[in-house]
Amino acid sequence: MLGGRPLAEPVTDDDPIEALYARGVTDGLPAVPPTAARVRRAVAASGRAAGELIALVPPNYGRATVEKIAVNAVMAGCRPEYLPAVLAAVEAVCDEAFDLHGVAATTNSPSPLLILNGPVRRTLDVNCGAGLFGSGWRANATIGRAVRLVCVNLGGAAPGLVSMSTLAHPGRYTYCIGEHEEASPWESLAVEHGFAPEDSTVAALAADAPLSVYDHASRRAEDLLATIAASLAVIVHHKMTHWGDTLLVLGPEHARTIAGDGWRKADVRRFLFERLRRPVRDLVPGRDGGEGLPEHVLRKFASPADDATPIPKFRSPDNLKVLVAGGTAGRFSAIVPGWTFANASRMVFRKIATP
Amino acid sequence: MPDETYLDPTDSVAVPRRTAPRPSSLDGKVVTLLDISKAKGDHLLDRLEALFRERTGATAIVRKRKPTFARPAPDDLRREIVGSTDVVVEALAD
Repeated sequence: MLGGRPLAEPVTDDDPIEALYARGVTDGLPAVPPTAARVRRAVAASGRAAGELIALVPPNYGRATVEKIAVNAVMAGCRPEYLPAVLAAVEAVCDEAFDLHGVAATTNSPSPLLILNGPVRRTLDVNCGAGLFGSGWRANATIGRAVRLVCVNLGGAAPGLVSMSTLAHPGRYTYCIGEHEEASPWESLAVEHGFAPEDSTVAALAADAPLSVYDHASRRAEDLLATIAASLAVIVHHKMTHWGDTLLVLGPEHARTIAGDGWRKADVRRFLFERLRRPVRDLVPGRDGGEGLPEHVLRKFASPADDATPIPKFRSPDNLKVLVAGGTAGRFSAIVPGWTFANASRMVFRKIATP
Repeated sequence: MPDETYLDPTDSVAVPRRTAPRPSSLDGKVVTLLDISKAKGDHLLDRLEALFRERTGATAIVRKRKPTFARPAPDDLRREIVGSTDVVVEALAD
């Protein structure tokens, strides 16, 4: 039994697609009309009660019930069986640790990147392989889009009014990938974070757009990771320090090169963490750009301009989240910078319930 | 008009928020200057405080600071401000 109100009568247009535009509830792309029949099918597929409250969505703290989320998922084009994944994703982004209030309102560019692990990738046909950040897969396209519509329609994150991102990025339409676990020489991102391989999970990261890294020549782990470190060094700005959760998506060929030298993911993190430290003298504001270590940090050093003390780019090796994804041909990886100031957003996981 | 009704994707019970009425004068008011912890927010508020002291009859000017700009003010801080001040100026900077 659905309890939600119908939308107010459309203003002018008898075309269903135009009627939704007229009500200001789309993301700029046409939306599937959320008829009661479609919404009912989505709620039924979740195995949960329509009125169950899943979360309050910052910054306006709209009530995200199963039904309200289903309405947005239908509009996004989700198949009914995607709903458990969408519900878990909404729970994840509304966790206090994710700081959706900040993510939604900041002048920075983040959008929640959803990362699926476990059997759900196969049952929902989530793209984990070639072109996974791109178009062409219904699950990736619509699960990510459903979360965006929830953020706007229930969270109030209207661009230019509440969501004040100066630039944003195309991931604000949809941003959802799966890990290519079958092509990974290591345990998955979710297993590293305490889940079982047979668990289906979603992780949410407040993320900038992916930056691809090309290295066709390196054949040793150290050489390849030196290339990747140099690209990681410039994220946010080249003198940013103490940054938080950031994702490294290793393409299967790159992962094989690294694992072939006997390196585990922990070795990758440690190598990158250590290589990404820079001496205080390289981080002084006004040299190579106005940004740099803030005054209160610089005051701790007697002669910042000469000081060789290494300062880390990331707060800890564990802030470097590593997974394997993408097509099995091509020596590419991608860096997905997080929006992760100290005490701000962190990556959040949720298990996807089986209805 | 479409032949079916559509369900509302927004929170239809959310109460629209309104801003509080603006005071016509700061005479006799308590003013809180809230620094959100962005770089140079204190520069802006130092100047504002000086101007408020020079040009208004505010009875008190209180300085408060959020722990981080990236999150909403903690509940305790919000309660403290709401319970003890008439006017808040929140400083964005950078």
